[in-house]
Amino acid sequence: MSDGLLPLAGVRICDFSIVWAGQSATMYLADLGAECVKIENPNLWNPMTRAASPRINAQTAAMVPAWIGGHPPEPGPRPWNNSPAFIHVMRNKKSFTVDSRRPEGFALVRRIIEMSDVIAENLPKGTLEKIGLDDATIRSIRPDIIILHLPAFGRSGAYVEGRGYGSHMDAVGGSTILRGYRDSSPLTNVQVFAGDFFAGMHGAVATMAALRHRRRTGDGQTIEMAQAEASAAMFPQAALDAAWNGRVHTSIGNRSFEGFVPNGVVPCAGDDRWIAISCRDDAEWQALAAFMGHPAWANDPRFATPEGRAAAEDEIERHLAAFTRDRDQTELFHALQAAGVTAGPVMDARDAATDPHLAAAGAWIRLPATADYPEVDWARPPYRFSKSAVGLRTPPCLMGEHNDYVYRELLGLSDAEVEAYRAAGHIADGYAPDVIASA
Amino acid sequence: MDALEGLTVLDLTSHIAGPYASKLLADLGARVIKVERPGGDPARRLGPWLGDEPGIERSGTFQFLNTNKESVVIDLKRPGATDVLGRLVRLADLVVTSAPPAVNDRLGITERWVSGVKAIPYLEVTNFGRVGPYRDYRLSETVLYAIGGEMYSHGTADREPLKLGMTAPLLQCGAMAAVAALGAVTAYEVHGIGQHVELALFDVQINSVDRRSSAILAYRFSGRVNARAAASGAGLAGGIYPVGDGYVEVTASAGNYWRRFAEMVGDPELLDPKWNDPRFQAQPANKEVADGIIYPWMLSRTRAEVWEAARAAHALVAPLFTGADIYDDPVFRERGLWTEVEHAVLGRFPMLGRPYILEKTPWRLRRLAPCLGEHTRAILAESGANASEIGRWFAEGVVA
Repeated sequence: MSDGLLPLAGVRICDFSIVWAGQSATMYLADLGAECVKIENPNLWNPMTRAASPRINAQTAAMVPAWIGGHPPEPGPRPWNNSPAFIHVMRNKKSFTVDSRRPEGFALVRRIIEMSDVIAENLPKGTLEKIGLDDATIRSIRPDIIILHLPAFGRSGAYVEGRGYGSHMDAVGGSTILRGYRDSSPLTNVQVFAGDFFAGMHGAVATMAALRHRRRTGDGQTIEMAQAEASAAMFPQAALDAAWNGRVHTSIGNRSFEGFVPNGVVPCAGDDRWIAISCRDDAEWQALAAFMGHPAWANDPRFATPEGRAAAEDEIERHLAAFTRDRDQTELFHALQAAGVTAGPVMDARDAATDPHLAAAGAWIRLPATADYPEVDWARPPYRFSKSAVGLRTPPCLMGEHNDYVYRELLGLSDAEVEAYRAAGHIADGYAPDVIASA
Repeated sequence: MDALEGLTVLDLTSHIAGPYASKLLADLGARVIKVERPGGDPARRLGPWLGDEPGIERSGTFQFLNTNKESVVIDLKRPGATDVLGRLVRLADLVVTSAPPAVNDRLGITERWVSGVKAIPYLEVTNFGRVGPYRDYRLSETVLYAIGGEMYSHGTADREPLKLGMTAPLLQCGAMAAVAALGAVTAYEVHGIGQHVELALFDVQINSVDRRSSAILAYRFSGRVNARAAASGAGLAGGIYPVGDGYVEVTASAGNYWRRFAEMVGDPELLDPKWNDPRFQAQPANKEVADGIIYPWMLSRTRAEVWEAARAAHALVAPLFTGADIYDDPVFRERGLWTEVEHAVLGRFPMLGRPYILEKTPWRLRRLAPCLGEHTRAILAESGANASEIGRWFAEGVVA
């Protein structure tokens, strides 16, 4: 079958999403077979959507952290096609450029919406409305469409104008206060972006549920998912303890909410090598003690129960760190697991990229080089379907890569019409020079 | 009508990741039949406790993760148990498991067995998948985040790497399992195919958009390895600031972000355009001057006041909320983030509610988390077993 039995074969997404939450939501849907058409504007730079900056070069890339600055050593003339932070969320998608703010561009966007099943966006509220795409208009163009909004803090209520990236969603969703060092204030916390990740997955879940409802009834609907609210579900225990018992949780560092003792991250031999260890029950603690050769300190009868170990947690952590400090991280990982202790190395990016298990399990797929990124291994989507052809079907899309397909095949424009759109600056493989200069 | 009405899920998962996936389906209308071991899902032993009183029906972790489900207790280790389980497979459109592959293989609960009973999708959520050297390794949320997530970049350079709060990585994996489950259900309903779908927690974290996939790609592109920052915050203004009643998170790097931040603070000195220049911002003496203005401004305001000013200026500043703030927040309340529920045994209590608002098929609580084995008898009867069979299974300890 030509659709490869893909779950979402025949579903088209008109994708206005940006940054990570929106772009990952549509990525999961594209993985599962939806045709995701990214609407990209050559005359407008959306921050943190295709790169940190359209001007990033070898020198400036080196000045920012690896996850956002680790472009190929020479980012080249189109760095928006090789940002390590964003190009991977373009997998299985198609890119179409058009200036939606201009009437002739908007006319094409209307036609794309007309032939779409889902429209997805996480722009600041008012952005789409300004070009004429409020919900009512979208619905008038395509009555049974599913509209997916992923605002930061909600589309109703006092926080509508709140702006935020993942770190701000994490702050309001309750993540940040729960994840610092136990012995220092939240002022030392650094950013992670768990909220983007969580929100994107929930956006895909809600969209598939709405698609099912539409298959059964013919009705589309609007979905609103406030990223900060979704994030709160990552820490239900903190919210419920406050609601039920008036208790406020702050960070317990690397210790366990589930009562595992010991539980934490201890050093290994070498530079900045660490291993995480959890004793999830008394048997795992006994296994750890046996593995260490039953040192005198571990034979303390107080340590036979989690409560007893919890009362001496500092002491146990000190002893454990002394035991691991000079041992090899990888050997310790396998030896502890073999001994029946839950343990694993703190992997940096190189460790993950070269991990033997991931390689054996087929976690990577090598894609050929393009003009803008080299031949490297890309992550295969995490879910494996035995019959549906879910996977890395098409490479991460370069900006404007599918203009021919969209302008000619999908929209059916003639050569002359396509040329007119090209001359007017709608069809491009990158951003207009003035946009690059001023972004 | 609920979005997932008419869909029945046989849920063999336990603890946190799998149950969060089936909760997401249940809360959108799927019927979820949860199979628990005798003694119950281990999540029943995790706090917080309703009224601070421990008990297997009073666990906040369990209550949250198992809304809208029904509970059947089966001891899958007993002879004949898989025959009982097979009856429930026939009621289902999807089977989800999170038991280790070795355990499922030993019990005979495999893709082949499920598809032999009924050709429906079978989602297997594992630690490490079915192939590869770590296949049978153990995981905790801390170890999972260490091997798969962004732990290496979280924390400061002079100290140990840090995990996320509570059990977050497991809930992340649960959300991804729900994506996989709905993909499998859609293929079943649209194409009429049952199939085996595998999802390894390790893979979910390796693929996380929470910087891990970026860090791996950055290494492949550039050879650079992600690292922990020397200190929190970056540049002139950024990171976490103290305010009168807590903390706020700030992003104010040069460009529009700084301009809006300076407008929010409103101090004439900071509004001077000279500040909006990365080189000027990078000089330590200038940071000292800026801090001399920013800190007093922050400390003389509450989080609510700072956030209100930030929203007016469209500045990237947001308060650090605790669980109590999320519960008390009037805007979240008004938007319906919380639901007040009435439990037959436990009485009234608030429940953290919907992650999303679906206009026509709203998230809703049709029932609260089930008591242990609450539905064993009724569901066995529904599966076609007669009273004497059911009585025998109870007597033999196959069910409870």
